[in-house]
Amino acid sequence: MKLTNPTILAGSLVLAAVGCAGQRTPPQSLVDARADYVHAMDGIAMQLDPTDVHEAKVALDRAEQVFQDTPDDPRVGDLAIVADRKALLAQAQASTIKAQQETQQAAAQIEANRTAQLQATRGQLSQTRQVLGATQMQLQEQEKAATAQQEKMRDLETRLKDARDTIAKIASVREDDRGMVISLPSEVLFKTAKYDLKPGAMAKLDQIAEALKAKEQPIVVYGYTDTVGTREFNMMLSQQRAQSVRDYLVGKGIPNDLVNAQGKGPDDPVSDNVSVEGRAQNRRVEIVVLPKK
Amino acid sequence: MMPKPAIVAAWALLAGALGCGGSIPPPNDAFAAAQADVGRAQAGGAPDIPDAKLHLQLAQESLQRAKRVMGTDNDRAASLCGVASSEAQLAFALAREAQAENMARSAQAKVQKEGDVR
Repeated sequence: MKLTNPTILAGSLVLAAVGCAGQRTPPQSLVDARADYVHAMDGIAMQLDPTDVHEAKVALDRAEQVFQDTPDDPRVGDLAIVADRKALLAQAQASTIKAQQETQQAAAQIEANRTAQLQATRGQLSQTRQVLGATQMQLQEQEKAATAQQEKMRDLETRLKDARDTIAKIASVREDDRGMVISLPSEVLFKTAKYDLKPGAMAKLDQIAEALKAKEQPIVVYGYTDTVGTREFNMMLSQQRAQSVRDYLVGKGIPNDLVNAQGKGPDDPVSDNVSVEGRAQNRRVEIVVLPKK
Repeated sequence: MMPKPAIVAAWALLAGALGCGGSIPPPNDAFAAAQADVGRAQAGGAPDIPDAKLHLQLAQESLQRAKRVMGTDNDRAASLCGVASSEAQLAFALAREAQAENMARSAQAKVQKEGDVR
């Protein structure tokens, strides 16, 4: 470098004066090379790039040797510059390696961050899927329950219809403002002026009881007579007959508190009391199924 | 007794051997190697990095000086070729260092930025 020449010039003057190379003042370039080599030795270059530090050392030794042997040789300055540049190169290489390591660390950090983020997202997704799965299962169960409920309703309707059909075969069934009315002729149930049930009547009442059990509705059993005989007798007979039917139904499984009995005597006739047929129609027991409370 | 032209030629040979050419042949290989080093530094981006550019220029100057003394002082020419090579190699290394540090900085900034986003 430019500084070198005056230094060498000065060195030459010193040499001329002293005449001994060992005591000559080294050129500035050599001083610089020594300092930069020491710097490279002390810094990260020695850890990260020892090979280039070693090359700098070899170059510096060579410059020192030539300086010792022939201090006036212009190559001393050249060799010192070469040694200095090699020391600087070792430092630059080490810095490059360090920067590359930092880049790799940053890339690894970014990768780790992304992996963590991805895992978090996957975790959320799996949670969402679980919730979705649970909801779908609930939905299916609800659908199943609704279907079962519908089937139950249909079954109940079928049973009610069956019950009605059964009753219709053995008694006349009609609807009035009280509810469903099952009307049985007294001749079917009782002997004249008696209130204990005929054996044949029981079979009919069994079917009716079976049908009514499904309904779980309040029931009133009314007894009716024609107008033959005294009213007191007819009232009493109709009450006893209604009671007999009521007790029989309770015996067959209709809840006790759901069934009442009432004698109406000759009241509320459904036909005339003049003709034989009319009177026969008036003598009856009506089982009235009231609407469910 | 040698003829006069022969004596002149012998002196010329002697002078050629001792003085002008130096003790070694022209350092053509070292010169070519230094040129290659300069080319590598130029291609490696040295002109864009101030430090690297300075040493690239020094390398080119050393090459010019080596060329000037080639044939007259081959020892010095070889020495200057070595200077040119080491300057060019340093220029290349400095350019690489700057590029690597740029990459590290931008990678670290990216980490910082992603950390802020979170």
